Amino acid sequence: MSVAWIGSQPVPLMDAIQKAAKLLASSHCPVFSLDADVHGTRSTIALAERLGGAFDHVYGETLAREVALFTDNGGMFTTPGEARRRSSLIVLVGEIPAPHHDMLLAWSNTQPDLGDGGQRAWFHIGGAAPASRATRQFNRQLKTVPITGGDLPLSAVLAGLRARLQGRQVTSPLANVDRLGAALNKSQFPVFVFSSTSGEAAGLAMLQGLIADLNRKGRASSVFLPADDDAWGTALTSLWMTGFPPRTGFANSLPSYDPVRWDTQRMVRDKEADLHVWVSARGEMPPKGRKIKLISLSRAEAPTANATVTIAVGKAGRDHDGVAYSSRIGTFQALAATERSSLPSVSSIVQQLARALPGRQDLPC
Amino acid sequence: MKALTFSLIAEPDQRLDLTPLTPAALTGLTVSQIEKLRLGAGRDGLLVGDVFRLSGKDANNVVIEGGSARFDRIGAGMASGHIRVNGNIGSQAGRKMSGGAVMIEGNTGDHAGSGMSGGRVEIRGNAGNNVGGPVAGELTGMEGGVLIVRGKAGDYVGDRLRRGIIAVLKGCGDYAGYRMIAGTIVVTGRVGAMPGYLMKRGSLLFDRRPEQLSPTFVPCGEPEIAFSGLFDRYLVDENITDRPLLGPRPGRYGGDNAVSGKGEILYRRGR
Repeated sequence: MSVAWIGSQPVPLMDAIQKAAKLLASSHCPVFSLDADVHGTRSTIALAERLGGAFDHVYGETLAREVALFTDNGGMFTTPGEARRRSSLIVLVGEIPAPHHDMLLAWSNTQPDLGDGGQRAWFHIGGAAPASRATRQFNRQLKTVPITGGDLPLSAVLAGLRARLQGRQVTSPLANVDRLGAALNKSQFPVFVFSSTSGEAAGLAMLQGLIADLNRKGRASSVFLPADDDAWGTALTSLWMTGFPPRTGFANSLPSYDPVRWDTQRMVRDKEADLHVWVSARGEMPPKGRKIKLISLSRAEAPTANATVTIAVGKAGRDHDGVAYSSRIGTFQALAATERSSLPSVSSIVQQLARALPGRQDLPC
Repeated sequence: MKALTFSLIAEPDQRLDLTPLTPAALTGLTVSQIEKLRLGAGRDGLLVGDVFRLSGKDANNVVIEGGSARFDRIGAGMASGHIRVNGNIGSQAGRKMSGGAVMIEGNTGDHAGSGMSGGRVEIRGNAGNNVGGPVAGELTGMEGGVLIVRGKAGDYVGDRLRRGIIAVLKGCGDYAGYRMIAGTIVVTGRVGAMPGYLMKRGSLLFDRRPEQLSPTFVPCGEPEIAFSGLFDRYLVDENITDRPLLGPRPGRYGGDNAVSGKGEILYRRGR
């Protein structure tokens, strides 16, 4: 089976590496859209730095919204393990992504062994927007007590709830606020569970304000569940390497973070970049219809449409061992290959690309 | 003396940072020195001479003839002088400006007037999101000065506004006055959802009753206050609006009660 193509023609891997390196060396503004494990992410960011390019995650739009909660507002966060063991009051906020439902359902079958020792209670803060069928079923299974405000959107419900918990006046009634207030008074460690899909950034800022209010008298925190674990892992790896999350560029050799300027998909669309390097160990395909030179490192058995060079890569945890973020434990975990294959890792291909560039230097990672 | 004029030769193929083209930075430079100023980043960062043809000598009055959505940070850090742009521009116009005046005859991108502490920015066209707002990681938005958008503005106008005046004359998106600390925001035309969300203090002044308020804003009647008349006169005197905005006895909401409840929304009654 071929693992490398120039255009639609299968070629030896080294020929594809040489061709890709030529494209990279001649590019004035290369951009990298990446989706890989920690090693692949580190190598790709190091290559972007060497070439003065910019990088973003393949799911950059979603990830940028999640990152904005931290860069624009901040908050109080705890790990899922701490919440499971210590919290007798879990408050779900908005729509929780389906991949996290199993973890929360598992919590519902346990009781906290630390903290106040109370029976765990579940609430759900929701807006007027109709919940998905999966969320409705999920809430039924957890037997959550709904906090809603009729036609009010989630951000308005959160604002009203925060005001009511401080004894201030609001113009619309909210269901079950007094019940939640009593539960908050009783619990020593209430935890609010939310995701970037839970609502708008402003509503999530209000939620963090509410948690800050609770911390004036006692202790409360939140568990942030990312929409995509791999994307959040990329954000943490990028922070560790550059000090900034994705949508960072190295135009002046130093990293600079700008979520508008270094949005790689926008740069490709607006023709500000002249080379797009698409890295997806999951096999996601780049958007169609973009007239720009494309190097694709993707888990695919065929060349990527419109790519000048395609190299097939494996996925960490399936084709080879690796390290990736897990929201279930709230940190990185080692992944053993489940279906070990001969597909090369993203990291090994990026290292070969770096060695094929003028100067022939290895990447530091 | 004729204004120092930068005439656009052709649309650049990369985003440019026009921070070096402020009156203070250009004063005392020769034409050849100006032409060698670097505007682009990266391996082949463009120089002024690659993008503009220069004429005129008065560096205190800078004119940019021909705009591009790739022109970022026009007037950034400016403390004195005048800049006029005939065309559309990119993001962060007037960023961290402390004095002088910037006039933009077209549309701007996001974060116009971000973090400005003095001076006047006037945008004849539309502005993007986060007018006057902070960029990622900053704790305060605009801290002084006057920022006028004669067209429409996007969401989050005046995010974390601390001091100064923002006027938007053809309506704005959602969350105007979001996380406002103090200062004044004027909007004529339609206002999006949740104005004043998370505002601590300050005033939002509208020419009509806002449609979608957070339940944490409570009606406070129609107080007879001197402020509305004084401010109406100020807006007309400064050529910001051509007629009084609030009129006598405007309607008033107090909020945001989720925070401290010390902010206010004043609106003209009867619309």
